[in-house]
Amino acid sequence: MTTTAPPTLAIPGQLLGPASRYQPGPGTHLHDANLYASLLGHVHVAQPQQSQQQQQQQQRRAPGPAKRLTKITPAPAPTPPAELPTISVSVAAAGGGAGAGAVVVGDGGPVAGERKQKKKREVLPEVGNVVLCRVVRITPRQAVVAILVCGDSVLEAEWQGLIRVQDVRATEKDRVRIYESFRPGDVVRAEVISLGDQANYYLSTTRNELGVVLAVSEAGNTMQPVSWKEFRDPETGAMELRKVAQPQPQ
Amino acid sequence: MADRRRINGPAGATIPPVFDDASTRGPKSIKSRSRPANATRKMYLKTGVTPSASGSAYLEIETSATPGVSGLKLSCSVHGPRSLPRSAPFSPHIVLSTHVKYAPFATKQRRGYLRDPSERDLGIHLEAALRGAIIADRWPKSGVDIIISIVEGDQDRETSQLQGDEVWDMMNALGGCITVAAAALADAGIDCVDTVAGGVAALVQDAGEDSIPTVVVDPIPSEHEKILAACCIAYLPTRDEVTNLWFRGDLPASDIDLYTNLVEKGIQASKNANRVLVGCLAETIQ
Repeated sequence: MTTTAPPTLAIPGQLLGPASRYQPGPGTHLHDANLYASLLGHVHVAQPQQSQQQQQQQQRRAPGPAKRLTKITPAPAPTPPAELPTISVSVAAAGGGAGAGAVVVGDGGPVAGERKQKKKREVLPEVGNVVLCRVVRITPRQAVVAILVCGDSVLEAEWQGLIRVQDVRATEKDRVRIYESFRPGDVVRAEVISLGDQANYYLSTTRNELGVVLAVSEAGNTMQPVSWKEFRDPETGAMELRKVAQPQPQ
Repeated sequence: MADRRRINGPAGATIPPVFDDASTRGPKSIKSRSRPANATRKMYLKTGVTPSASGSAYLEIETSATPGVSGLKLSCSVHGPRSLPRSAPFSPHIVLSTHVKYAPFATKQRRGYLRDPSERDLGIHLEAALRGAIIADRWPKSGVDIIISIVEGDQDRETSQLQGDEVWDMMNALGGCITVAAAALADAGIDCVDTVAGGVAALVQDAGEDSIPTVVVDPIPSEHEKILAACCIAYLPTRDEVTNLWFRGDLPASDIDLYTNLVEKGIQASKNANRVLVGCLAETIQ
């Protein structure tokens, strides 16, 4: 089974291994039952999490006293494809400190390496991602936002998104008013539900932890969330209506 | 289309007068090819030359052994992936836009600041060559701009303007454009099926009208008496696929295999260029 280890560095089009041994991850593609790199960068092989958990459970079970089975548990389904390690190619170098503003084009290896680490690959919002965005303008039917952060990575380009009135919250959708949920300038945590039309990603804030995370009052002060639909200005004490995101423990 | 926004130089060529002299009379004749028929010129390729771009590359092909013939110097920058303009329709793929521009001083005939039809033509061929290599559906709703400026065209400055035909120079330029764009795309982190590289082969007649034509790789027009036909090929080596083929010229009808032969030589030239490309990319990630 173990023939050759995959290369540590990959160039687009380079053979990484047969599809029977790895699952394709980001930066790879499948052709003729073989996996090839599609990016220039470092190769990572990630063991599937499921088998790690199983191993941990087995380890945990082993030392303790054997328990009697009191309930019928389904036999673990044989899922061979899920147990294959995932192979991926990423542009950024694994580990290492972020390079200072080294933009000098030199022949030195470390300089080029630092430049590479500093440069991050552009990512796109995908369906299911949680994004941070700023409200640009509101209309009675929708709020137009600019997507700033996708997952953990700050986007270089600014992508436009749309929160429609029916996607603001899960209950009492017919009573939602956009101006009681968002105001221009608010920072909103939202989930991508569709790639949308030519210009906009469609976003949703129907979950509890989604909604306005940062709001500024009409007086210009940063407000604090007090309930699921209200923010309060700590200086003037004025209340303002928003679709408030449930504060998350860090 | 007149360029009204800039102060342009005179429209005609501005070549300083060359006075006939015993010392300059020598190189006026056709210089013979200094390399074997199946050898390409040396090439220098480097990625990451433009810090502000997502990806960039610089390509230089050495000058010919004969003096006065400049090499090819290309600079390519890739911007994106970035969001499409609001007017653009929805696209489930990445939208490629390629711009190839000769610098005004790149060729004997001075070029304008606006792109002329031949430069647009190069851009279209380049786009066709790259589209076969990019995995376009990895980047929905986004566009990427590939901008190549030809800093120095591959031309002999000593031959008269009437002698050379621009079109053979364009073939060489396109071959370089494909290679340098592939390097810049890999540097930008855009998913590609393979590293695509360009190569040129030509059918030349070196000894008079009635001589037997030969197939050479990486031709320099000034080194040959007459170029009958040429083809520029963009080739994916691991897939063994041709993504773009540009053929121009007339083949003698006597030999049917000549066309296949020419294409094969073009593939061989692009394999040579690909070796440089792979070496350059390997250096980039180390």
